[in-house]
Amino acid sequence: MMSTKMSARGRWAAIAGLGVATALSLAACAPPGASTGEPTTAPTEDPGKATGTLKVGFLSPTSGNFAVAGQEMLDGWNLYWEENGNEVGGVTIETIAEDDAGNPETALTKAHKLVEQDGVDIIVGPLIASTASAVAQYTSGLGIPNLHPVAASNDMTQQNWNEFTVRTGSMAGTQSTYPGGVWAAEQGNKTAVTLCHDYSFGWESCAGFVQGFVDNGGEIVQQIWAPNTTTDWAGYASQVQAALASGVDMVFVATAGGAPGPGFLTAYLDAGGDLDPLLLNCCAADQGTLRAMGDRIIGLKSVSYWAEGRDAPATQEFVEATIAKLGIVPGAYIAGGYMTASLVAKVIEEQGLLVGSDLVDAITSFTFPDSIFGEVTWDDFNNTIMPVYIREVEKGADGLLYNVPIAEFPAVDQWLGKGAPADVRAIVPYDQTNQGL
Amino acid sequence: MFTPVFIGQQLLNGLSFGATLFLLASGLTLVFGLMRIVNMAHGAFYMLGGYLGIVVSALSGNLLVGLIAAIAVVGVLAFFVEFVLLRFVRGQELPEVLLTIGVSFVVADICLWIFGGDPQQLPAAVRPQGAFTIGDFTYPWYGVFIIGVAILVGVALVIVQAKTRVGAIVRAGVDDREMISAMGVNIRWVFTGMFIVGAALAAIAGTIGAGRTPILQGVQNEVLLYALVVIIIGGLGSIAGAAVGSIAIGLIDVFAKTWIPEFAYFTVFLPMALVLVIRPQGLFGKAA
Amino acid sequence: MSNPATRVNPVVRPATGLIPSRVPGSGGGFFRSRAVQIIGLALIFVLGLALPYLGANSFTISLTSTILIAAILASSVNFLVGEGGMASLGHGAIAGAAAYGAGFASKQGWDVGMQVLLALGITLVVSFVYGILSMRTSGIYFLMVTLAVGMLIFGLASKYSTVTNGDTGIANIARPDFLGEYWQYYYFVFAMFVVATAILWLVTRSPFGASLRGIRDSESRMRSLGYSVPWYKVGAFMISGFIAGLAGLLAVWHTHFVSPTSAGVERSIFAIVMVILGGVGTLLGPLIGAAIVVLIENVLSSYVDRWQLVLGLVFILVILFLRAGVAGGIAKLVRRIRGRTTSPSGGGSPPPGVEPASNSNHTTARKETA
Repeated sequence: MMSTKMSARGRWAAIAGLGVATALSLAACAPPGASTGEPTTAPTEDPGKATGTLKVGFLSPTSGNFAVAGQEMLDGWNLYWEENGNEVGGVTIETIAEDDAGNPETALTKAHKLVEQDGVDIIVGPLIASTASAVAQYTSGLGIPNLHPVAASNDMTQQNWNEFTVRTGSMAGTQSTYPGGVWAAEQGNKTAVTLCHDYSFGWESCAGFVQGFVDNGGEIVQQIWAPNTTTDWAGYASQVQAALASGVDMVFVATAGGAPGPGFLTAYLDAGGDLDPLLLNCCAADQGTLRAMGDRIIGLKSVSYWAEGRDAPATQEFVEATIAKLGIVPGAYIAGGYMTASLVAKVIEEQGLLVGSDLVDAITSFTFPDSIFGEVTWDDFNNTIMPVYIREVEKGADGLLYNVPIAEFPAVDQWLGKGAPADVRAIVPYDQTNQGL
Repeated sequence: MFTPVFIGQQLLNGLSFGATLFLLASGLTLVFGLMRIVNMAHGAFYMLGGYLGIVVSALSGNLLVGLIAAIAVVGVLAFFVEFVLLRFVRGQELPEVLLTIGVSFVVADICLWIFGGDPQQLPAAVRPQGAFTIGDFTYPWYGVFIIGVAILVGVALVIVQAKTRVGAIVRAGVDDREMISAMGVNIRWVFTGMFIVGAALAAIAGTIGAGRTPILQGVQNEVLLYALVVIIIGGLGSIAGAAVGSIAIGLIDVFAKTWIPEFAYFTVFLPMALVLVIRPQGLFGKAA
Repeated sequence: MSNPATRVNPVVRPATGLIPSRVPGSGGGFFRSRAVQIIGLALIFVLGLALPYLGANSFTISLTSTILIAAILASSVNFLVGEGGMASLGHGAIAGAAAYGAGFASKQGWDVGMQVLLALGITLVVSFVYGILSMRTSGIYFLMVTLAVGMLIFGLASKYSTVTNGDTGIANIARPDFLGEYWQYYYFVFAMFVVATAILWLVTRSPFGASLRGIRDSESRMRSLGYSVPWYKVGAFMISGFIAGLAGLLAVWHTHFVSPTSAGVERSIFAIVMVILGGVGTLLGPLIGAAIVVLIENVLSSYVDRWQLVLGLVFILVILFLRAGVAGGIAKLVRRIRGRTTSPSGGGSPPPGVEPASNSNHTTARKETA
């Protein structure tokens, strides 16, 4: 029995080896249909504007920890097409939405599906920084435009920029908070403490504020870093209060959207904290926070590129449409999605159906004077240049809470007013120790 | 950073965090002690209880009503899980654990479906408001409230365990299951009852905890992890262990985040890993 | 419900109360079900090799690669659970650590050979650490130790940002040039799956595998026979960890990307889910389980919003009614068709003689019919 067992094992091992050899040798010759997935819609060669269908693959986390933000981004995009129809100048916009669950592997798989199986022309999204960089890398390799309505990582338009990835509805991490630091210093604050999430978005947001503040004569006394999975903010609220009690003038708080905003504010206000010395970032003071906290935070100040209380026709129309269709006041996620849709519509209306690098060029050379954000243009690295607002929470005539601008910094670019560095690719990313000082 | 006011605040922060942990961990440890089941759906019970507590107390304007509603619904769910599902895998550790993981998936997704992805907190109107001030020292009443509830529940559990017949049966069951059934006690109903009690404790933790930290998708895994750490350190099956473990983890977590924030994550898991290697039954647990 | 096969073969008491793997030589039914396995194997083999030629597009091929890589990870867990009776919630972290090894090498600009070396080195070290920390534990405590160590690794990946880039992850990880095309990589992954399965199968058939099964069934017995049980467990962990590390390296070459989620507990939970769905201890179980989970996660999610609910329900149903997993269930079905009424491996009904501490449960369980 022993010998048969031995040879049985040996036989199986040999068969397995044969299988491996076969597989590896098959790897040498290409099977039919091994295309590299080029874009399927080619623009017509007519001298007039091209028509046809623009297939859009929309990636966002509609399940998991970021479900709300992901769904809002999609809702904003869809809202534009529902309000204005999805036919622009003879071109039909067709959207295929997929859920990436906030997971890079899933995002990549879905991106593959959208490009290779559904044959989309552009990909919009995804939202979370890690998923965004994974997808951007994939799409740029195929020459497929990748539009980002909300993602805020610096590197996407700096060290890792490429000609197919465009930020369309938001700003780089440092870009939107730098004016906050400038404004805080201009208000007479001399010392500040920062509380930011301990990962790239938090590092960048803090670095923006820090540089703006220090460049204008301020001093950063302490920087507190909270893990990005923090749900219990009581300890951090106490640290912030201790700092204020010891004489620091103000506190800058930057978190991701969703639960951290209400979490921190509840803990801070419960412990007797005052709204005055606080300055929050876009996402800590987004509409989700306003809805969760209610009237308690009227008067809270924050800095962001999006102000839903902005008194401009484009913005107000959009806000009314959102309230009518979705029942809520739009925050930055809905705004980003809507903005991207309106941008695509405007560009196609002007120039007809475009794909690939033509579309990217058309977008980045476009000037959008009356978008919901204000006037928007693009720089050489496919990043937005648009106004940043210092906002304050107010109660609107309809009884709902709005972030209303109390100061405006026009045409803010991602280089913090210092011009693009000679070698963008050599930029050292920010972290807890490198805050740009 | 070392002022008495600051230390005092952080101390109370740690204790109130520990209080929520105790409410959560006590249920988990009792279920394990008696039934040898690690209920991986415990976090999902917390989440469901939290959402229900928030919604019902917002509608009714009363925290107690919300609490009762949360306990009732989660209790019924727990009964279903234990009576209908777990009976098929009774006695087999791994399938039991895996089944509860499956339940956790299902409950979490249903919560997303019904309650949406927005993080939710107890409305300010139903919870004790304001803060008390002693000189320079200010602390929100709600933190004290949580500690109070936890002490109440802990004392109740200890009294029931020590003074009542049911408690005696449970204690005996933890020690030796065969003996109990040999003595004619219908062990099935004890198990079912204990599972429901454990889930009810999780629901209370969820509702009360929702006044302090928001309930949202993903919270079920987070609190489960903390609860596991607590009961492993404290000892599976021991209320005292859960209490000691919760206080320890609550304080470690808060002070580590203040003084050694880069290592704050590890300060919670390292004690657990150490306990598992050195004294696997935990501080107060019996040898497995 | 007395089962002659099990009376002859009383080795059905794994420490964690699992269904034991198919024990060789357990009766005449063995060869019949062997035929099923052989046919199944051959079918999958041919299908796998021919897939790119059947007109499947690059997305489908890429998805199949994902399934195979997940199957390799599931196989590593399957080996430890089925042969060693040790259920681990930490294998996702081992794969993740290997992935980070390759990612770090890529980040530093080193060539692919260094990626492999680093991934291998890290895998061995991490598996050893897991083994040492867990070797004196079993059952639920073993589970908790692996979970704890897994969380520590996840924490390191997330916090040690100078090395790992923190939560942003490491992108642009290069694959070996000769595997650049998606179909080339697919064949490579396929070959690796065969190799991994073959290695594990050989270990299972070896004396070491037999000792491992002995430990699984009764540690005290093995100890009294003079075996150094803890070190066997460490050995088993190293072997299983090596396969998990292989899966991690293949994964990072597939997606060119690694982030802390690769080392998270979710990955480990999915691995165990795959093992259970497919059938513990079976040869093809991990592949079937991986296919089910990956397809639900990636394909079903495009059509159904509540795919996590579906996954949870499928999982619960399999545990309740298809305890031997899909592979075991198919084998049972085949045996039933061939007129067999008893199953040698006792799948489907709780094995008699579960832990002595739960005899009361045992009597209750007996009342239930298979």
